Amino acid sequence: MRRGSIVQLVLFALVASAAGVLLALLPNWLPKSASDEAGRIDFVFWFVTGICVFIFAIVAAVLAYSVLKFRAKPDDDSDGPPIHGHTGLEITWTAVPAVLVTSIAVVSAIVLAKDDAAGANPLRVDVTAQQFFWSYTYPGYGNKKSNVLRLPLDRSVVLRMTAKDVIHSFWVPEFRQKQDLVPGIHPTLHITPNKLGTYPVICTELCGLGHALMRSRVVVMEPQAFEQWATKKGP
Amino acid sequence: MGDKEGPVTAAVEQHAAPAARHGPPPPPGGWRRLLYPGFLRAAWMAPLFFGIGCGIVVLCRWWGGWHPIWFGEIIVLVGALIAGPIGFLAGIGAFDYWARYAIGAPTRPEDHSGHGAYSWRDYFRVNTDHKVIGMQYLATTIFFFLAAGLLAMLVRAELAKPGMQFFDNQTYNGLFSVHASLMIFLFVIPAFAGLANFVVPLMLGAPDMAFPRLNALSYWLLPIAGIMMLSSFLVPGGAFAAGWTGYAPLSVHQPMGTIFFNMGVQWAGASSIMTALNFLVTIITMRAPGMTFWRMPLLVWANFTTSLLVVIATPFIAGSQFFVMFDRVMHTHFFDTAGGGYPLGYQHIFWFYSHPAVYIMMLPGFGIASEVISTMSRKPIFGYRLMALSLMAILVLGFSVWAHHMFVSGMAPWLRVPMMVTTLLIAIPTGIKVFSWLATIWEGKINFSTPMLWALGFVSMFVIGGLSGIYLGAVPIDIHVSDTYFVVAHIHYVLFGGSLFTIFAGIYYWFPKMTGRQYDERLGKLHFWLTFIGFNLTFFPMHLIGTQGMPRRVSDYAPQFANWNLFISIASFGLGASTIVFLYNMVTSMRRGKPAEANPWRALTLEWQVSSPPPVFNFDEIPQVVGSPYEYGVPGAKHAVLNGDRAPTEVEVR
Repeated sequence: MRRGSIVQLVLFALVASAAGVLLALLPNWLPKSASDEAGRIDFVFWFVTGICVFIFAIVAAVLAYSVLKFRAKPDDDSDGPPIHGHTGLEITWTAVPAVLVTSIAVVSAIVLAKDDAAGANPLRVDVTAQQFFWSYTYPGYGNKKSNVLRLPLDRSVVLRMTAKDVIHSFWVPEFRQKQDLVPGIHPTLHITPNKLGTYPVICTELCGLGHALMRSRVVVMEPQAFEQWATKKGP
Repeated sequence: MGDKEGPVTAAVEQHAAPAARHGPPPPPGGWRRLLYPGFLRAAWMAPLFFGIGCGIVVLCRWWGGWHPIWFGEIIVLVGALIAGPIGFLAGIGAFDYWARYAIGAPTRPEDHSGHGAYSWRDYFRVNTDHKVIGMQYLATTIFFFLAAGLLAMLVRAELAKPGMQFFDNQTYNGLFSVHASLMIFLFVIPAFAGLANFVVPLMLGAPDMAFPRLNALSYWLLPIAGIMMLSSFLVPGGAFAAGWTGYAPLSVHQPMGTIFFNMGVQWAGASSIMTALNFLVTIITMRAPGMTFWRMPLLVWANFTTSLLVVIATPFIAGSQFFVMFDRVMHTHFFDTAGGGYPLGYQHIFWFYSHPAVYIMMLPGFGIASEVISTMSRKPIFGYRLMALSLMAILVLGFSVWAHHMFVSGMAPWLRVPMMVTTLLIAIPTGIKVFSWLATIWEGKINFSTPMLWALGFVSMFVIGGLSGIYLGAVPIDIHVSDTYFVVAHIHYVLFGGSLFTIFAGIYYWFPKMTGRQYDERLGKLHFWLTFIGFNLTFFPMHLIGTQGMPRRVSDYAPQFANWNLFISIASFGLGASTIVFLYNMVTSMRRGKPAEANPWRALTLEWQVSSPPPVFNFDEIPQVVGSPYEYGVPGAKHAVLNGDRAPTEVEVR
């Protein structure tokens, strides 16, 4: 390979990575982050995005370069050079992706372990889904019931979930956490809200006619306000 | 093709003149025509079998004292979805040979009366010629592709604005469920089977598939499955509406349309399994002399691995759908917690098929891409052995990743990290394939014909689909984007940008071989660019609205996503319209295209060394394979010697 073509190829790769970086940074890819878990999940998201932009840039550069440079002339019936393989290259493109995906797996496993652990003094809430609404029960507050999920700021929450009829799924995009609610089992989900506000609770598992409208809200409150609400009678 | 008069009936004459006409004897006249295999016989045998099915149901219910004795859903299930189709198959003659054999009537093992196509009518009967069956497959699958595509247009029409426009919720859920089921079971999987049916025996130097009559039967199961899924729109309660994944317990409690899905999958699955067995036996036993495994074209390798996947995995989806149906009609409790059932059991069984199914829908495309890219770049495929081995690696790893569809399902939490690791490992053999294709075009003499555009379009789009797969493989990200439009974007980059692009590459690449005519190159390129642009405009923004918070499978959505959805809907209509260019090109080229040469691409594989279209029995003489199928640019190299007693033709010398 000539030096000139290497320079051109590198230029192509730089342009492709610049395009990839712009695509990653310009749109608002993720909603507001409102929990400790969301911060960690976003880190994995951008870590993977970095690796993907790198791979995409290589592929796009080689493809674009080949398309422009190796076009056969209309009357050229000759064959290309009979290259059958290159052991060094083949080892490289086996080993490098292996290292990259291993790093993604390690980062993901660490984040997953952190997101799955409850903090000190967690608040337990029982979440029940049925066609087509959500209900929340607070066992620590005399089984207080609510149709809106109210959570205190900066306190670890353990949601214990189940469904009455079919499978539903609990998702708050701002918390980045999601869990299916399945009849007969009680999986848990951990959330540590860290921003005040009201966010949507969305059902993401097709559950029948009213699936699209099976929504509820989560309200993150100051801890004192939450205590006041939780110890008060009525909703 | 031989003359059109006078069927050859004596076996002796057939052996003496193998190139003579082998068409079926002309149908008898009068009432006997009703007994002659064909649609006429099917027209009375299907209702007869339906009646027998109804009789069995009524008799059993009367005997057991179950009321009502005439129970609609069971009648439909046994009569219309099981017995009726069997009657149809018996009527068109799919079982004739075996039935004669079973009752001891004389049969001729060398009976070629059902072989080959001499008029258009031969495409509408049970035909044992793998080339005819390949065309039957392709025509049928393109029909269901159009039907499923129109359903997608209806889905996008509804989603153009927030709120409800055209459909109620149940109909909407039916639209996307049937769209996905038809695309998967009636288009992508069988379209690849159809292309392979035509090409694989030719590539192997074989006169046909190993079991031609089984091959014919497996084709005729397909229209049954497709009509079953489509007709579910007509039954009370509407089409099956629990998604193509049909998660229990929702699917157990849906209206009657669900059993049309449960049974449609059985017919399509049986078709797949039979074809896969046929491919395996053909590839193992019918390779031409000298065609060792390591001289097989990569398309054959791809179909070998795909067939192993089909044979091992497909029984699992059959089981999952039977269980759902039994829960429904026989009151078993496989997935009903009240009766001690386990809803997640459904997902484990379903995905144990349906993840390997992703590779069933992708590996044949890898094979097509390898053929097209090597030929059009005029270079040997880079790293042939590693290409074949990575197919095998994907086959093995593909069975160890199913639960990555279930990271948020509530399954045992410890299972997530091992499944994430195996999932991410699949990126390695897949990466090897992508990099090897890039290395193949490097320094090539690239001919940007339509098949090559589709193949390169596939490589670029599949890379995006593969990279978004890494996001989904990483558990923390998957927890956020699972069941959102990000997943919808990902599967369309894989199944549209991957499978469909390679199906188009294959159709254009082998069109001259199949029809004996050349397609219109300008229209082919127009079709590619319209589809490529429309595809990206439609599906790329779905990544964004997914990560931002739009769940999938909803008929209504939050107003913040309105602009993007309108944009996507408009783009999708353009994408749909691009198909018109394809159809116009296919139809006009088939009728009036300029006659194709035997080897317009100057390829080395065996299917190009015979005439276009190939003779009825493919090769006048069995070819002798002497080398690799990709020796472009190697002076004096040959893949095979045909007609060994004559001087090699110009093509072979090249």
